[in-house]
Amino acid sequence: MMDTNLQKDDLTGTIKFIPPLYKQRYQFIKDLVNKYKPKKVADLGCADCTLLWMLKFCKCIEVLAGLDIRENVMKEKMHRLSPLPADYLQPSERSLTVTLHHGSVAHKDPCMLGFDLVTCIELIEHLEAAELEKFPEVVFGFMAPAMVVISTPNSEFNPLLPGVTLFRHSDHKFEWDQAQFQSWAVAAATRYDYTVEFTGLGTPPPGTEDVGFCTQIGVFVRKYPKNGETVNSEKHTEHAYKTVFKAVYPSLKDEKYLQNAVVSEVLFGADIIKRRLLGNFKSECKEHSDGLEQKLKFQPFKYFMTCSKNLSLAETEKLAADRSMEPFIDGNTVYIPLAKIFSIPKVNQLCGTFEKLSNLIAGKVALSNDGSAVIVTIEYENEEQEN
Amino acid sequence: MTGRARVRARGQALTGSPGSGGQPGSPRRPDCSRSDEPMAVRTPQSEKEASTSCGHRETTKLTQRYGLSAGVSGCTLLERGGKTRCNFQDLGVNTRETMAHVKDCKTGFSGIPVKVVTNLYSLGLPREWQLYQYHVTFNPELESKRLRLALLYSHTELLGKAKAFDGAILFLSQKLENQVTELVSVTKRGETVNITITLTNQLVSSSPVCIQFFNIILKKVLKKLSMYQVGRNFYSPSDPVEIPQHKLTLWPGFAVSITQFENRVMLSADVSHKVLRSETVLEFMTSLYTRIDNACFIQTCEKELVGLIVLTRYNNKTYRIDDIDWCVKPTDTFPKRDGTEISYVDYYKQQYDIVLTDLNQPMLVSRLKSKQNSTVEPRVVHLIPELCYLTGLTSQAISDFRLMKDLAQEMHLNPEQRQQRLSQLADNIQRIKEARLELEMWGLQLGCQVSLTGRVVPTEKILMREQTCLPMSAGDWSKDMRNMKIIGVQPLDNWLMLCSNRNGELAENLLNCLKRVGGPMGFHIEYPRIVQVQESPMAFLRAVQQHVNPEVQLVMCVLSSNQKDCYDSIKKFLSLDRPVPSQCVLARTLNKQGMMMSVATKIAMQIICKLGGELWAVDIPLKSLMVIGIDVNKDALNKGSSVVGFVASTNSKITSPKVSVIVVRKKCIPRFFAEANRSLQNPPVGTIVDTEATRPEWYDFYLISQLARQGTVNPTYYNVVYDNSGLKPDHMQRLTYKMCHLYYNWPGLIRVPAPCQYAHKLTFLVGQSIHREPSLELADKLFYL
Repeated sequence: MMDTNLQKDDLTGTIKFIPPLYKQRYQFIKDLVNKYKPKKVADLGCADCTLLWMLKFCKCIEVLAGLDIRENVMKEKMHRLSPLPADYLQPSERSLTVTLHHGSVAHKDPCMLGFDLVTCIELIEHLEAAELEKFPEVVFGFMAPAMVVISTPNSEFNPLLPGVTLFRHSDHKFEWDQAQFQSWAVAAATRYDYTVEFTGLGTPPPGTEDVGFCTQIGVFVRKYPKNGETVNSEKHTEHAYKTVFKAVYPSLKDEKYLQNAVVSEVLFGADIIKRRLLGNFKSECKEHSDGLEQKLKFQPFKYFMTCSKNLSLAETEKLAADRSMEPFIDGNTVYIPLAKIFSIPKVNQLCGTFEKLSNLIAGKVALSNDGSAVIVTIEYENEEQEN
Repeated sequence: MTGRARVRARGQALTGSPGSGGQPGSPRRPDCSRSDEPMAVRTPQSEKEASTSCGHRETTKLTQRYGLSAGVSGCTLLERGGKTRCNFQDLGVNTRETMAHVKDCKTGFSGIPVKVVTNLYSLGLPREWQLYQYHVTFNPELESKRLRLALLYSHTELLGKAKAFDGAILFLSQKLENQVTELVSVTKRGETVNITITLTNQLVSSSPVCIQFFNIILKKVLKKLSMYQVGRNFYSPSDPVEIPQHKLTLWPGFAVSITQFENRVMLSADVSHKVLRSETVLEFMTSLYTRIDNACFIQTCEKELVGLIVLTRYNNKTYRIDDIDWCVKPTDTFPKRDGTEISYVDYYKQQYDIVLTDLNQPMLVSRLKSKQNSTVEPRVVHLIPELCYLTGLTSQAISDFRLMKDLAQEMHLNPEQRQQRLSQLADNIQRIKEARLELEMWGLQLGCQVSLTGRVVPTEKILMREQTCLPMSAGDWSKDMRNMKIIGVQPLDNWLMLCSNRNGELAENLLNCLKRVGGPMGFHIEYPRIVQVQESPMAFLRAVQQHVNPEVQLVMCVLSSNQKDCYDSIKKFLSLDRPVPSQCVLARTLNKQGMMMSVATKIAMQIICKLGGELWAVDIPLKSLMVIGIDVNKDALNKGSSVVGFVASTNSKITSPKVSVIVVRKKCIPRFFAEANRSLQNPPVGTIVDTEATRPEWYDFYLISQLARQGTVNPTYYNVVYDNSGLKPDHMQRLTYKMCHLYYNWPGLIRVPAPCQYAHKLTFLVGQSIHREPSLELADKLFYL
């Protein structure tokens, strides 16, 4: 949790929150995500997608969706939600899809079904009365996520804010005091079988505790686990939103990237085994083991320790016992049994099963006739003549 | 890449520099030395260096490069993110109009016409197409750019679809009815804002601003194809090519730009690859640590990494590694923008949910260049090795010839493969609707690939002492030359040979071979004084210091290993303190059985050059011509300073100085493919293109003067920026081609005129080994080969 701070400038009577309140709201959601580990998260009224951008780094999330009525604002910085080029270099374990929709929270669209968490940060006060009326039915009744977070200004705090006459923002259609928000929230929760708890951000200065938090927050939790499938199909509705952005992140869950990673590791491993077998590698191995002892004295990077124990003693013995695992040279070709390849830790970890390994490298890596070994041709290095 | 790599390999392995050529009356330099017009030729490293000229060969150090500045109209367009990326310093310089003899026609005529396909595409711009530039003001003034955009864009019916607005300048593809348009908008707060749109410019498609504008549109198009911009080019990281044995990843991509060519604005596209390491800097450090001696780990690590560009895992930024800080650890703290302290570990966890696995790793240090104000102290950032990927190649990787070979296999596309990729790109732009619309909105469309007619100029005869030969292959005439006498050299009578104790036999063997190949060439070699020394770098230098006297014509050293400091110290001493040409040979090279005669032939030819001899010539009808080559190179020792090499053919009588200045570029945008047997091939050697792909404001042409054994040939681009010689363009082109025949280190055609390549070799030797201006006593010999 971020430590928060309230500063009051005595001269102007200005109240300043550190960090700023909007950041505290985002952090509040991030903390909630870290606590409950939702897989599918939607942000309603996502504006310039800042919250979504922060959430895309949360490793538990696999589906992120944003919805806003202002397409241009959403598009302004949506490129931040695209995968980075570097994401393709070492694709991550988890899959992640980010989608942005243009539409209104007063409309139902099946793309919002099945979420674990739906956030509505400073959203409801922008809704017209008609929209607000439909809002509970859409969010709690239709989307029916496991958890909903709604934040909105607390009008009781407004007298403490400089320059605020009616509302904090010209586009606000209303601002509620604590009682108004809570009664609206409790009514909605009751109707759609949710529990609700209230909290907030931005504590008032000493002596004015009664006004409550500057931002009031309701955290809604669905009472009963949902039998998702049946409910969803029942609710089949026409699409009301327009998809304006969709990014699928590279992931090892995607066969294409997994295959790429496995093939790379296999070829890299095979190349090392080949060189070791041909003797070129001897000196390097020796240096390696010499280095290890010194490293302990030098406080090595932790990483070295982990990579030096690639194979435990027991594993090594097991390997030695299994003769069919030994690579051998026949003529111009090095044969490296698949079993040996499978024992390379990274390959093992990526594939899980031997069968999966065979499937993934089929057609991508040169194999012996019976398919039991990876073959590498030895090229004799005829260095080019220098001119 | 190949050109440079080959030169470098030669430079280190076999450089030598004997010579005795200083006397008056020593043989003339190649035929081109008879003339009355000095001609300066240069190969710039970047497009920015300036050329100088003067009478004799010299090297000068420049601490600062100065640019050939170009008058450019003052408008800069801001891209998204506020950066101005396009550089169009070349635009707006019209050198051709100052040269009366090429004003109307700059094309040659000799040779056989050949049809070539280019990598250029027309854009289908109607002749009357214009871009309308408006200035937009808001009253009251608005701080927020977002608000300015929103208010202006709310007037869609007036502005139409095709509009680009950066907050102040508005571009439209259609002209508004009035010169000045007044609009009124109301903000959400209820304020009334008056917007005034004033027409400031009507731009034709060839104007620099318009070209820059097109390039911004083009970037949008490529982004719509899901490509990422890294540096200047666009890549597809989602379709990587892996070279697992070296942990390398290649991202396929394109270098695409829109430029004004001779007759019209065209789009050019070429295949580009981004080389990345598919491991993090930490993994790289770790594997380095396991491979080398611990004592020099820090030093080696810094040597390998400093200067490289890294790509971070958490944002799309690239940084240059300027230093490594071994004292800072990820658990240390740094101040955040709001003043609070946070540790690196916590920061990356909080911000990006990244858990650092190694809490003892050092930090990479990068100094950020400040864009606006260069006087402000640059900001320094610390980067975590574990979160950085290396781009490009380390020096270790470049010297690994297996790696370079595997890389070349993936990167060198032949014309057919290249064409396939280009078609794919063109196809994608047309097929993917969002991309196509970006262009169509502005009235642009990707047209077909442009074909043009080039000429293959006649093959040159190689003149030897008593015979001439018409080479079978212009790429390599070493075989044709066999048993022919070279034009001229003095005998090698007094020379010194140094080798380590265990290489005595190799040296003897080399001597025998040299004598055997020397005879048929017409090169007499006396038995040298042989000195055997200890196996240590210092021993060679000491022996050189002890035994070299003014009578010695040449020093030959047989070195046991490729140790740079040994080589450097010998070269330094013999170029500065006691100027004598020297020739270094690696023992490894002499160990190759069966290759000895060809090795000896090459060494003999190099020695001849270093003695001031002349190997072959081509027929140049111009009398009294001086050809000057200028090149610039970085000094390896003094970072930030550069070495300028100046090489001229020697000439006695220059009376009326007429000058042609030609800028030689090894890299250029166009590629040319010749159609043969229903497939695409490299055009024949000697192909000249001087239409369509050239630029209207320049006196320029393309020449393919080298034989590409693999991949697609890169034409060399020649821009005659100044010429009062009155030479016809055809003669200028032919003369240029002839010059490409005269590089004595290679019995074949090369891709730049020989003087440029000599200048390059000179700067390379000075920049890498000598670091000072070599003695003038050597100035009349090719001691730097």
